[in-house]
Amino acid sequence: MPIRHRLATLLLAAALAAPAAQASAPAAATDFTLPARDGGTVSLSDLRGQVVMINFWATWCGPCRQEMPLLQQLYGKYEPLGFTLLGVNVEPDSAPAQDWLKKVSVTFPILFDRDNKVSAQFGVEAMPSTVLIDREGNVRHVHRGYKPGDESTYADLVRGLVKE
Amino acid sequence: MKFSRVIATAVLLAALTGCSSVEPWVKPYERQNFADPVMTGYRDPVAVAYLNHVFEAREGARGALGGHGGGCGCN
Repeated sequence: MPIRHRLATLLLAAALAAPAAQASAPAAATDFTLPARDGGTVSLSDLRGQVVMINFWATWCGPCRQEMPLLQQLYGKYEPLGFTLLGVNVEPDSAPAQDWLKKVSVTFPILFDRDNKVSAQFGVEAMPSTVLIDREGNVRHVHRGYKPGDESTYADLVRGLVKE
Repeated sequence: MKFSRVIATAVLLAALTGCSSVEPWVKPYERQNFADPVMTGYRDPVAVAYLNHVFEAREGARGALGGHGGGCGCN
């Protein structure tokens, strides 16, 4: 009986310690450089000092298309406060994305991760995935997927990070 | 008896570790590869569409197989 108790305590401690350790030490976001829609390139390190939201999306992903106009609204609202949004398209062929963007008004930078290196680097576990990086360049939040209403979560998180 | 149990455990462990790393694993951002025409199990799309049409007409359940068009499915 005592052994079982001790085991349970150990397991509980391990379960509690794992998320706590994750929360206390924000990991620095690994730098990347990707070609942009306007013809240039964008590096994450150039955006140090700003709150950066990276949204991994694809045209074949319904929720991604659904949230794009809402991300545009978020960008329009918080951009003057030092906020940048990067829409990283994960498709090897950028033509469908280019076509789709003609129909949807998006003013934030769209980057093309054609060989999926950056998607792998950020460990994208769902489509869409949204990563929030603070002004010091640390990954603070990773949001997986999108369902209606998540945009208010994004807004709350961005507001918090912009104030820091 | 004991030896066989050891063997069984070893086989079970080996089988379980086999599940830990299936390669290649399709990542969420690679899912478009599933929609590639090469992923279809059939060689001739026209013949498959015809067969599906006949099948759907016979089963009285249309759609979801990629076959198109109406009719009785008899010609």
